[in-house]
Amino acid sequence: MHNFYHPEPAKITFISQQTANIKLFRFEFEQKIPGWQFSFKPGQFIELSVAGLGEAPFAPCNAPGTPYIELCVRQVGKLTDKLHQMKVGDKVSLRGPYGNGWPLAKYDFKAHQNLLIVVGGLGFVPLRTLILGKNNYLGKDTKVQIFYGAKTPDEMLFRHEYDGWKKQNIDLALTIDKEAPHWKGEVGLVTTLFDKKELIPNSVVFLCGPPVMYQATLEKLKQHGLADENIYLSLERRMHCGLGVCQHCGVGSFYTCKDGPVFSYAQLKDIPGAI
Amino acid sequence: MNQAQLERFVSYLQTANWLVFGPKELPKDKDELEEISPFIAAHLPAGKAKTGFTLIGRITRPAELALDNRLPFYSFKRFFVPDKEVLFEYQDTALLDKKTRHKVALLGMSILDLTAVNLYDQVFEKDAYYQTRRRQLLLVGHSAVPEIANNIFERQYEEDILEHLPFDIFLAEEKRGKFKVFSGSLKGQRVLEHFGYSDYEHVQFSGPVKEGKIDARLDRLRNRLKKHHNPQIWEELAKKCIECGKCTLVCPTCFCFRIDDKPSLGEKSGQRKRCWDSCFYREFSEVGGGHKFLDTTAERIHFWYFHKFARIPDEFDFMGCVGCHRCANVCPVGIDIVKVLKDIEEK
Repeated sequence: MHNFYHPEPAKITFISQQTANIKLFRFEFEQKIPGWQFSFKPGQFIELSVAGLGEAPFAPCNAPGTPYIELCVRQVGKLTDKLHQMKVGDKVSLRGPYGNGWPLAKYDFKAHQNLLIVVGGLGFVPLRTLILGKNNYLGKDTKVQIFYGAKTPDEMLFRHEYDGWKKQNIDLALTIDKEAPHWKGEVGLVTTLFDKKELIPNSVVFLCGPPVMYQATLEKLKQHGLADENIYLSLERRMHCGLGVCQHCGVGSFYTCKDGPVFSYAQLKDIPGAI
Repeated sequence: MNQAQLERFVSYLQTANWLVFGPKELPKDKDELEEISPFIAAHLPAGKAKTGFTLIGRITRPAELALDNRLPFYSFKRFFVPDKEVLFEYQDTALLDKKTRHKVALLGMSILDLTAVNLYDQVFEKDAYYQTRRRQLLLVGHSAVPEIANNIFERQYEEDILEHLPFDIFLAEEKRGKFKVFSGSLKGQRVLEHFGYSDYEHVQFSGPVKEGKIDARLDRLRNRLKKHHNPQIWEELAKKCIECGKCTLVCPTCFCFRIDDKPSLGEKSGQRKRCWDSCFYREFSEVGGGHKFLDTTAERIHFWYFHKFARIPDEFDFMGCVGCHRCANVCPVGIDIVKVLKDIEEK
């Protein structure tokens, strides 16, 4: 019987410092099974483990079709401390992917369906794959509008890639929490962008960020008349199994790992404590 | 099957290399009991001190098996979902699976215990460890329904419930020491035939739920929990609950777990282990950075009840509570599930 708990060994092949405490790691599987390539849908997650420190869930963020996995990891605990000390050539173990990912098949993005992405902090990570594979997942002419809020300009993830994105029908609006020297863009929480920018019409919305961002953003979205069914949020929860068994990620009658992590606001709005 | 045959059957299982477990009488004397388990000695409900108590243990002599209507202190949970188990050993990224398994026969499982097995079978359907363990188990049910102070769901033994319970062999006690025997699986038939007993009837398992029949109580509780959330119930309970987790320990349907690495002395080597967790513990919902999604006692108690009476029903169409009342027996602050369910339905 297939054992879901058996991870596959993977090697770090590239590391890039994104911010003071966030690094992007690239992993390649060690034992290459002929004809098999790890694939995932944007918004899904994997379980990464380091010998002795156990497992934790992370969302891959590499471009689709690449022979490697990229994870963007903030140093917040024992496992991520260890990961941040690791060097190219060091080994970890991965299993997955798990979860549903963003509801891309539900909408016809090629036919005038646009997309608004509202992200805060590390919440940008599970959307990078979608952005890098825009033509693939959404379509060349699909308009994508991104509202991104970070603490400081130095905390902006993937900032060296923005110029490339803008050439692909992607409208990127940035804001930082507090005034900073040399910053010429907007200042304030991500919700301030709703007052400064015109929303592109006919959009579905993908949200990902810290819990505090959700309530405020949802309020703005409701003011703009977006339907609950067209607003999607990726939830963060503690996870151990990734398969909807261990109960840590239970939200109402759903499991974040199996039924999520992406839920529509319509699914969550009546569940106390979900958002 | 009569009592003498039953005892021969137990001996037969032992000679056929089954490790036999079942309810055993515990000493009535409090000091003797204290020696076996201070925890049990401390949690004997007042009324039970006289009638004596049973505990599921290894049966070495057939006469030790206490088949009666006393509720064993712990359920059979650990045979299905062990309190701790090694998933595999690791040496850096290399894995080593450990595979040593014994055949285990569980005797005297009541209809409540068997109902819990329905849940394990569903929840761990795709779990390789569970399935390996489950294949090695022989489930022998018994018709006496444990006498419980508040029989929550008024469960009775009737022959027509057998097709909804997962067992290999079932002993329906017609009168003291006289059993009608049923088989519930090919494994059960094989064991009975090999033992030399063929006067049994076969019952074909037809799933845990009577077709098209959602239990009315289940429906009511789920509906109240999902559509009439009343924070006051949980805030009141939170004033009493000390989050010791004892209820989750004795509950036959509490199966949640955590997975951790246990390093050994060698470099980068150790075991990945899975062990029981409890949703009453503060770190149960804690994520990297320290945020807890279930931040208050009230939220955690609500999570426990919601899982049993709304989430499990949504997943499997049956309740996540077998009505054994063990949680109330061990609760140090006197929270009684019977009363809480009443509050959910009425408040």
